[in-house]
Amino acid sequence: MSRRIATPELGGATALILHRSHATTRALLRQLVAIGLRAQANWPELDAAVHGADFVFFDADQCHDGMFPWAPGAAPMPMIALIGSEAPGRIEWALGQGADAHLLKPIGAGGVYSALLIARQGFEARRAAADEIAALRARLSERQTVVRAVLALMGRGRSEAEAYAQLRAMAMAWQETIEQAARRICAAGETGAPTLATKRGRDV
Amino acid sequence: MRRDVEIGLLYSRTGDYAAIAAACRRGALNAVAAINADHGKGIRLRVTEQDPAGNLDHYEPLCADMLRDGRVRHVVGCVTSSSRKEVIPALEKAGGTLWYACPYEGFECSDRVIYTHACANQHLLPLLHWAFSRYGRRGHLVGSNYIWGWEMNRVAREVIGSAGGTVTGERHQALGDTDVARLIDELRAAKPDFVLNNLIGQSSRAFLEAMRVLRAEDPFFAEGTCTVLSCNLTECELPGFGAAAEGVIAAGPHFAGAPLWGAGRGAAAASSFEAAAYVAVATLAAIEEGPGDPAARLAGCGVDPETRHMELPVLIARVEGGRFRVLEHSGPVVADPYLARRERWPTARYPALRVVT
Repeated sequence: MSRRIATPELGGATALILHRSHATTRALLRQLVAIGLRAQANWPELDAAVHGADFVFFDADQCHDGMFPWAPGAAPMPMIALIGSEAPGRIEWALGQGADAHLLKPIGAGGVYSALLIARQGFEARRAAADEIAALRARLSERQTVVRAVLALMGRGRSEAEAYAQLRAMAMAWQETIEQAARRICAAGETGAPTLATKRGRDV
Repeated sequence: MRRDVEIGLLYSRTGDYAAIAAACRRGALNAVAAINADHGKGIRLRVTEQDPAGNLDHYEPLCADMLRDGRVRHVVGCVTSSSRKEVIPALEKAGGTLWYACPYEGFECSDRVIYTHACANQHLLPLLHWAFSRYGRRGHLVGSNYIWGWEMNRVAREVIGSAGGTVTGERHQALGDTDVARLIDELRAAKPDFVLNNLIGQSSRAFLEAMRVLRAEDPFFAEGTCTVLSCNLTECELPGFGAAAEGVIAAGPHFAGAPLWGAGRGAAAASSFEAAAYVAVATLAAIEEGPGDPAARLAGCGVDPETRHMELPVLIARVEGGRFRVLEHSGPVVADPYLARRERWPTARYPALRVVT
């Protein structure tokens, strides 16, 4: 997969830093402001504005699960771990929080910009993959519905291939997925109502 | 004419871990006195001191201050891992070296630090294997909410698991928290073969005192059963812990009465903190003393040039009558700070197979 990175738009984005007041926090704030983000540091409580933040930086050495207003791994924005101790337990914890990128402490004059881009790319890829998996899971769970719909259509004297072709044609005509069409056919079979009328009826 | 070498000491005289810092400081000053009294030496050590008073934010500026004009290039100091992490940028900037004389959890190899006390393959691994063959493999893990407790217990869980044992429970307490009732309740229910205590300071004392009460109440926990193991209990804490520390099995590179290693050979020390700081100063003096490649001189003093950690003896000892009685003395063991070189693990020297009769 090729990634094209045009000069990314970060100006005006907001970043929250969960780290005690320290040279690391100051260096990070300085870099973020220079890049054009609006940044603020909180410790030990995250500001209520965190839900609207575009990025969250957190201290992998001293933070714990209870400091975030979401379940581990469920942050609604890219997360960047600030790592001091490279002990595997801490790395594992930071990954469990959903860290999409990291910066090694002490933080000097560079590294923040690339961390922002890597974190955003990683977060978006992770979210897209999660959406796709959810859609595929939903379709997988409808397999039985499709089988039942094909069987219902076969009951009217068609072969399996003809029944499936008809189901597909119906889904296309109704402009919905095969799974949605199959669900409608099954529902119509149970109530005895004509399938096309059900669709039209819903459209009114 | 002897050349003066200035060294810095960076130990907290007050605060939570002042007793440990005092032991390190004593060891360093004893070594300075011994070197300065030896007229055969080509150097004389002069000491500059700073006191961070147990405040994490004071370490970096005080260390930078000592290194500022370039006269001090060796700093002996720091007790906690977090303070060590704080001073590394200052050392990098000034080209100084920190001599770190406390046990820690590993996973670091700064080229600005020499580590003269033990990491996990020199304390935790030998201690656990010692316990497995004597008490069993069902271990209960307790620790403070700090990198030491988290990481030591994580490694212990892995070692116990790979030895076919079971972790019966794991609980971490906030630093300084002395309310151990819940921890004891869990322990009472779990009935493990041993407890690995990675609590720090007053939490550790509170736990050991509560264990003593439990031993009197519950026959399963009677004296001599369900042993408490520790990698950080030393002579520094024994006076304060009193009878509560009796029976604890601890691992370390030194206990009072044992010989020192490397450049410290021939000297005495009252605890492993004192010993490791003594060896640190003796080693830096040996490097400053002579000509030749400093890396080769470091290796000659037992410092692995790759990891900058020291090879150490491994002692297992039991607290009896307010002092440690050494039960086993082995080593030297070369440090494996990333637990990535199995051949350096003490158990790797023994065959993995057990004799079945």
